[in-house]
Amino acid sequence: MTTLRNRITLALGIALTALIVQVTGPSTAADFPARPVQLMVAYPAGGSTDVAARIVAAIAEKQLGQTIVVVNRGGAGGQVGWTDMSRARPDGYYMGFINLPALNTVILDPERKAAFKADAFVPLINQVLDPGIIWIKADSPYKSLKDLLEAAKRAPNKISAATTGILSDDHLAILMAEEAYPGAIFRIVHLEGGAAQLTAILGGHIDVAFDNVGSVYRRVRTGELRALAVMDTRRSSFLPDVPTTPELGFPTVISNSTRGIAVPKGTPAPIIKKLEQVFKKAMEDPEHVKKMEEAGLALKIMVGEEYAKYYRELHAKAAKYTDWARNRPHK
Amino acid sequence: MEGLQLLLSGFAAALSLQNLLFAFAGCVLGTLIGVLPGLGPAAGTAILIPLTFHLDATGAIIMLAAIYYGAMYGGTITSVLINVPGEAASVVTCLDGYQMALQGRAGTALGIAAIGSFVGGIFAAVALAIVALPLARFALAFGPPEFFSLMFVGLCLVTGLAGQSLAAALLMTILGLLLSLVGIDPVRGAPRFTFGVPELYDGLGFVPVVMGLFGVAEILLIIETPFRRMGDIKIKGLWPSRDEWKRSSGAIGRGTVIGFLLGLIPGVGAVIPTFMAYIIEKRLSKHPERFGNGAIEGVASPETANNAYANGAMVPLLVLGVPSSPTIAILMGAFIINGLTPGPFLFQERPDLVWTVIASFFTGNVILLILNLPLVGVWAKLLKMPYQYLCAGTLLFCIMGAYSLKGTVFDVGVMLVFGVVGYFLRKLNMPLAPAVLALVLGPFMEKSLRTSLEMSAGDFSIFLTRPISATLMVFAALIIAVSAFQIAALKSIRTAESK
Repeated sequence: MTTLRNRITLALGIALTALIVQVTGPSTAADFPARPVQLMVAYPAGGSTDVAARIVAAIAEKQLGQTIVVVNRGGAGGQVGWTDMSRARPDGYYMGFINLPALNTVILDPERKAAFKADAFVPLINQVLDPGIIWIKADSPYKSLKDLLEAAKRAPNKISAATTGILSDDHLAILMAEEAYPGAIFRIVHLEGGAAQLTAILGGHIDVAFDNVGSVYRRVRTGELRALAVMDTRRSSFLPDVPTTPELGFPTVISNSTRGIAVPKGTPAPIIKKLEQVFKKAMEDPEHVKKMEEAGLALKIMVGEEYAKYYRELHAKAAKYTDWARNRPHK
Repeated sequence: MEGLQLLLSGFAAALSLQNLLFAFAGCVLGTLIGVLPGLGPAAGTAILIPLTFHLDATGAIIMLAAIYYGAMYGGTITSVLINVPGEAASVVTCLDGYQMALQGRAGTALGIAAIGSFVGGIFAAVALAIVALPLARFALAFGPPEFFSLMFVGLCLVTGLAGQSLAAALLMTILGLLLSLVGIDPVRGAPRFTFGVPELYDGLGFVPVVMGLFGVAEILLIIETPFRRMGDIKIKGLWPSRDEWKRSSGAIGRGTVIGFLLGLIPGVGAVIPTFMAYIIEKRLSKHPERFGNGAIEGVASPETANNAYANGAMVPLLVLGVPSSPTIAILMGAFIINGLTPGPFLFQERPDLVWTVIASFFTGNVILLILNLPLVGVWAKLLKMPYQYLCAGTLLFCIMGAYSLKGTVFDVGVMLVFGVVGYFLRKLNMPLAPAVLALVLGPFMEKSLRTSLEMSAGDFSIFLTRPISATLMVFAALIIAVSAFQIAALKSIRTAESK
């Protein structure tokens, strides 16, 4: 056992030395960035957050004058990566994507025992707003959102509705729909992501899915799936024929997932300013706009205080539904 | 037959220079892993995953799959020449392969093994191409309860088939399931067994654990055993005689069918098909006494079966997204890293990729035949390398592999700890396969169990009221009952014998 311990100690020692060498380098705002910058994505490579991050990183690094390395720290619905980010040195060399409201609910759910609070991150700029969508199998008996909600009211806790994870935006969206149509109660089934929803719904195991436009719009266009509503104030440019929830008389059922860049609390203001400008320019670049369109991701650029305000307001809204989800009689 | 048409278009892509190169590289690395003792296909594939990070998805998967079935070929060489299986699926090959080598027929043994492997691999790939699409359509009938029951059958199988003691196997299955619980609860989000260590929030890395249990533990065991130097065995006369052909052809045919069919069932593992094929040949033979004394069928059948199994085991992965062995689980990881979810929709979303990968099984098997027939002498030379260098080199590779997965030293520590754990478990004669499969299937099973219960509002009868699930559950119960009975019977025979 001693040799094993020695080996671990040695390995740890090497890692620590490397770390110390790295952090003692000079880092003042004036010469930022003097070395490559990390952009953390709290989900695995290949997911839609990752795709968007890589698109913007490739464009922004030209303006930044340093390489932007996209680092995937997936796991635990984002918690692993965000824990990492909250502990990173606030010098501008570590940025990360925050996915809202996933980040909010990770913080708000006491069971998660998150090691950080909402103010651990300073939001810089938002990139994507992917609206929520309610969809069913093409041959499902429900013709409209109202049909579905009425059925859920007549037979409470019988109609199964899939989320893409507990306390995900889709989970909160189901609660909003129930709130907007008193008496309607779904049997909520938490699945892991869009692919699992697809199998479960097309196989007829689950009745309805709550997800985001970006992950299903292609199949809605081909007619494989039928969308009942997009949960946004305006129609999605990817699905111009699908009505929005306000159009259908449910103005409070607004749900989406947003992704933007943040830095750890304590990052110097001049560095924040610089990063905001660099990413704003990159996101407005025609190449960025075109590639995001191809990826089926709707842009929504919010910079600085506007984004920070959005983050705070969403946190309060998410708090209400998180609380509600935890105290719901039908879990 | 639609499958065969799509397969042809897959060939066009698989035969591109680039993809051929990936298949070739995979075959060489795989054979190397197979030849080197201590590195099984699971640990080997895991170590080489980082190599594929910079390739496109198709290339990466072609290469990893080639490493996987390449190792199946390579394991034979050491079995025949020095009576040490290069990987577990070649254990049976030692029985007659080494005897043949002692009789000066090492070349023929290696020749028939390579030919059998080739035939088994190719026919299983054809069968895979034919059944994949219809099965992918049927796969939609599998909801979470059916998935749970299927994986439950897999665990029962691996437990029941693991060996001498059902209690020991059950213990190891439970150990594996417990290890799979470490990390954040996938539904409610509560941390479990993490002791506040953030690295554990994401669970124990499956790859470091497997590399520890198999790779590091194996190295520790090798260090203990005295080095078996390869005698001056001349490898000549690879091509079997007419009589040998006659005796092997039936064995190769049956090995193919057995291997492929067992590959379809999750949890069987690569070892069981080889034993099964061997035993069936022995039972069918008019001269069973030749088995164990250098019978060529005794080499042909298990070697064919393990390669047919390798391709058969791709079916549950591609069709259902269920990994049926640790190595396949690592392959599945490679799909996920590349943003692909194996399952029925993969055939719709990335037909190009799926069919190119399937077509690459054919090109890979041809490459392996070439690598193994004329070039077998080159591989045999590797065995002359002193063990101390091999062990040090393998250990270094394991450490690099564990570190490079996520770039954390923590995983290296996990691997070393499980290396020691694996060493003692092996010393205690505990079967490792159930623990590893339980660790692999654990998260999938938990997820489908809990989703099923969400669907039924907490009612466990959902597993018995749905026909497919109920059938699988009955099957699982039968497996446990039969294996309990068999092991008891075996024991009574042994005690009778010892008296």
